[in-house]
Amino acid sequence: MGKSINLLSQSELVCAIKSNESDILKHFYTTNYKKVEFLILKNSGSIEHAKDIYQEAFISVWTQIKNDKFIPKNDTALQGYLYQIAKNKWMDVLRSKSFRNSKSLDYETLTFIKDETNNDEDTDLKSNKLKLAMETFKNLGQPCKQLLSIFYFEKKSLKEIASELKIEENTARNKKYRCMEKLRAMVLVHNN
Amino acid sequence: MKDNSEISQELLEIIERYINGSMTIQELKDFNQLLELDKEFKTKVKDVETMLKGIEAQTLKEQLDEFHEAIPQTIIKKPIRGKVRFLNFSKIAVAAALVLAIGGIWFFSSPKNEKLYTNYFKPDPGLPTTMGSTNNFAFYDAMVNYKHGDYNIAIDKWKVLQEKKPENDTLNYFLGVAHLANKNINDAIPFLERSIEAEDGFIFLDEAYLYLGLAYLKEGNVELAKKHLDLSETDTAKAIIAKLKP
Repeated sequence: MGKSINLLSQSELVCAIKSNESDILKHFYTTNYKKVEFLILKNSGSIEHAKDIYQEAFISVWTQIKNDKFIPKNDTALQGYLYQIAKNKWMDVLRSKSFRNSKSLDYETLTFIKDETNNDEDTDLKSNKLKLAMETFKNLGQPCKQLLSIFYFEKKSLKEIASELKIEENTARNKKYRCMEKLRAMVLVHNN
Repeated sequence: MKDNSEISQELLEIIERYINGSMTIQELKDFNQLLELDKEFKTKVKDVETMLKGIEAQTLKEQLDEFHEAIPQTIIKKPIRGKVRFLNFSKIAVAAALVLAIGGIWFFSSPKNEKLYTNYFKPDPGLPTTMGSTNNFAFYDAMVNYKHGDYNIAIDKWKVLQEKKPENDTLNYFLGVAHLANKNINDAIPFLERSIEAEDGFIFLDEAYLYLGLAYLKEGNVELAKKHLDLSETDTAKAIIAKLKP
């Protein structure tokens, strides 16, 4: 990754995000935050609101890219898209009744509002399933979580993982499978 | 997800290779064929896909706080923040009441907003209605009425469509502007409000903000008017904002 992110073309950026290149993700995250924060602070939000909304928007953009739902049209398309999503999310919050009626804008109100909007947003089954998978993975035991993250998110090979965890490659392979089965079983329980 | 769907280690690894695109052309062909033939298999693959996405999304989510620490913190001047909090409860209410009262007097004594509205309000030109095999016949049929200025007819026709698709942003938008053109501000506002709640990428979003702003302006609600006009990137909206500034 010798190239600085500023020189990456949009399609390169999309590619890097798709393969979860940590440095690029981080750079993309940190360089686009301030604009959103500025918007939210100017529009009756707090720094906490800004962070929450921005993180939600960031995950949505990432998901869209993963699902090939986003094709950049100009040099700053992705950055603009992230901003737009964050802006829309904040508008939703501002427009929601619970926000308008609440006198103090504390964290509780925000989570409440978020739940409210989530319900409208995610009526389609697919993203509900994704939410469930995310939630279940969150609660998976730490060793499994770590192993699956390294393998599926960081895209490291079993060999690399094996040497990192000081185990045999085949053990890593079996472990990974057992962890997946565990996760699957947990998802199934929630699903029924 | 079905309970009975056993996934063996081998199958999991095959699905993984399918998802990350490392199959040979022949393998991919066979795999796709199987997907088409076997519904249950397809569900299994989809479920694994969702799980992998879930793992990735959650891992990313848990990294964001770490990313966040790298951002230099915005220093909000403490006294101002404290003040705002304090003001939130009582003083802002008093101030708002004063502003409303003064604003009200000012509004009723001067028809400035009304003037601005009449100066800047032009009904949306509508969409081109080309003859052709469009499956949106009903929609464009109403558009013809709209363009002829038969707003009531257009509204009635669109209303029927909108009842079937209450979330359709374009329908809500045109219902809004038709009511507005028909000088029926109170009916226009709810439709326009709904149209701006549209998902990302609504093509008339800027116009929707403009007309909603205009509607509020006409209604005398300058604050809401400003808020929506500010969000519109149209020249008209910017011009009105400039005029609204004292």
